[in-house]
Amino acid sequence: MPGKKEVWCTVNGKKTRLLAAGNTTLLQALRDIGVTSVKRGCEEGECGACTVILDGLPQKSCIVLAQEVEGATILTSEGLVQNGTLHPIQQAFIDEGAIQCGFCTPGMVLSTWALLQSNPNPTDEQIKQALSGNLCRCTGYAGIQRAVKKSAKLLAPKLQGGDSQ
Amino acid sequence: MHDFLLERPDTLRAAHDLLQRYGTKAMLKAGGTDLLIWIKRGVVLPECLVDLSLIPLLQELSLSEAEMCIGAGVSVARFLSAEAISTHFPALVDACNSHSDPLVRNRATVVGNVCSAVPSGDLIAPLFAYDTQLEIHGPTGSRSCGIDEFITGPRKTTLQPGEIVTCLHVPLPKPPSSGSYQKAMRREALDIAQAGVCCVFSGKAQDPVVRKVRLTFSAVSAKPVRALKAEHILEQANQLDESMLQEVAILARQAVAPITDVRASSEYRLDMVAELTRRAVRACFAERGEA
Repeated sequence: MPGKKEVWCTVNGKKTRLLAAGNTTLLQALRDIGVTSVKRGCEEGECGACTVILDGLPQKSCIVLAQEVEGATILTSEGLVQNGTLHPIQQAFIDEGAIQCGFCTPGMVLSTWALLQSNPNPTDEQIKQALSGNLCRCTGYAGIQRAVKKSAKLLAPKLQGGDSQ
Repeated sequence: MHDFLLERPDTLRAAHDLLQRYGTKAMLKAGGTDLLIWIKRGVVLPECLVDLSLIPLLQELSLSEAEMCIGAGVSVARFLSAEAISTHFPALVDACNSHSDPLVRNRATVVGNVCSAVPSGDLIAPLFAYDTQLEIHGPTGSRSCGIDEFITGPRKTTLQPGEIVTCLHVPLPKPPSSGSYQKAMRREALDIAQAGVCCVFSGKAQDPVVRKVRLTFSAVSAKPVRALKAEHILEQANQLDESMLQEVAILARQAVAPITDVRASSEYRLDMVAELTRRAVRACFAERGEA
């Protein structure tokens, strides 16, 4: 059967080589190079634990083939950390107790990042819709909802290029 | 997951050549959000996947005075973000928003939903209601066909070996038009329809020659069906009244043949068809200011 191919893409700002067979998922290829914030959950596109930002859009990496990301730009939760400092969204998830087992958290954080990029001041309903592809079995979502609200407040000055007041 | 070769042609011609070379051992892939799961579960075991996402021609999403054209590579999210669709195709907006979740919609394609041909495919009923034609390219020429000619049963279509669905042509409904897609599901996101009903009105109420109504369904029949008798009553109706609505709901129930499965019983689905029909028709009348 077919062998592996080299796939070049940008992962968290770094030019990266993935080695992938035709049936290798992006989820598998990322974990193979040590990007372990991308979690293997259902592997059927349901749970969202494997969420990545692929060319600017949040997607489920278990239903993307690694060979499809040639030339693409991928952002994972690791890539949000700047000089050892957590991203405001990551910090908000900690501060609001939006984490219990933590398995869904990297995906939740990335879906939040994508939401706030396009909509810096979302309503409760818009938050629910944006996170509807990410399942959490522990928290009951209330903490997550608070964390997204807090993230929006923290990021408002940066996204709008001025003071939120 | 079963092993396969991934081919990524950048022209339609190259895609046809690959289909010719691999014959029945090849399968076409657009978004792949359904297909990859079928492969993981061992339902299909292709030797080669022909990925259509690098073919520029298939990325077309355009609006003319007569129709909207949706290329085979256009994702549900990209389609949803097109301004024209909320003006002309509100039932498709409802259906796209109820399809999977925002992450999957970034990858899943509109055409793929039709080609997967599962009875619960959310976009199939509204595309059928809007009289969509599929454009199909084969090695020796092209043809077009309607949704109900294309889908012949669960996961069964009239697509022949070597053929590729390149785009959908959705005619703009005659104004004033209104449309609604109503879906019953167990949770508000990422769930497959237990039953879905789509209603589309076009043309003036006072003009029964021009007025056209379509009533189509999801997850309650093996292949796409219309409730012709119910449509006829709605085409003649000048205003919404409860006895007419009741008759339409009964006729809608008679037009479908749901099965019992893990998601719902046949009886529940029939009751939901009646209820969702009432809701969809009410929504259409309300949108037209005729309620």
